[in-house]
Amino acid sequence: MKRGELLGSLEHIILLALVRLDGDAHGMIVRREIEERTGRNISIGAVYATLERLEAKGYVSSFTGEPTPERGGRAKRLFRIEAAGKRALQISEQTIRSMTADLKDRWGTI
Amino acid sequence: MKTCSPPTFACWLLESVLPDPYREAILGDLIEEYTLRIESTSRFTASRWFWSQTCRSVPSMVWSSLRSGNCFMTVSIAMGVYILMGTLKFAADLMISKVVSPDQATRVILAPIVFLTTTAIGGCVAARIRRGATIFLALFVTITVAILIDLKVCSIPVPWWYQFGFLTLGPLAVIITPALFGRLKQRGPVT
Repeated sequence: MKRGELLGSLEHIILLALVRLDGDAHGMIVRREIEERTGRNISIGAVYATLERLEAKGYVSSFTGEPTPERGGRAKRLFRIEAAGKRALQISEQTIRSMTADLKDRWGTI
Repeated sequence: MKTCSPPTFACWLLESVLPDPYREAILGDLIEEYTLRIESTSRFTASRWFWSQTCRSVPSMVWSSLRSGNCFMTVSIAMGVYILMGTLKFAADLMISKVVSPDQATRVILAPIVFLTTTAIGGCVAARIRRGATIFLALFVTITVAILIDLKVCSIPVPWWYQFGFLTLGPLAVIITPALFGRLKQRGPVT
């Protein structure tokens, strides 16, 4: 596995959120999804900083939406998971699965 | 729907500090969520949430901007504007001492006006070239003023609050003035 394909924890969670949201999603929707599912109150800045990093790696793509009045006339930045991102997620999941295999008996002692 | 506007200073701060590619998106997202939160909770709770998001988002985005390699260019722009500001202030001080009045008391009165005007102009120029440069420019101004205070450059004894004013209002003028002008510019065509 290439070194660049290893995901950080927030990268992993954000990519999973994008898969769950199934389609184009903006930062606040991603933040809300993570908060609802994990209870982690992360900042919108952290979400965008991670999305920017994922975009640089080619795991997600983004485009600008239309400005709307409820956003103070500001446009949305919509994100979509790419095939490379899905592949990185699978590799990451496989890595975690192989590392946690046969560990169930030991959880109590860790 | 209730009419509401998010905390003004938090918006100014975000507009001044956030890097270009995601500034509009982050501000838009926060305003949208703020409106929804006002509907479901109170204005106070929504404002507290907005401030908490602002304070936690700024370091993430600034750090991300530094990591992405834009840092060198941003610092160079800030340094260029800083030199320009210094030249402008030197010229203004020279003009005051030669043309207006050589009296030291008058210079003590005029110094804060010249200082705040040059820092405000510097902030606007830096923001015009690159938004993130205002943060570094404010940092340079703070360091310069702190060094000058420590070196006791002022020959006339001045009260502590006079020096403290330079230390706080200078960096604030660098950050707030461009945001203020940007806001006025945005309001212009709407009315």
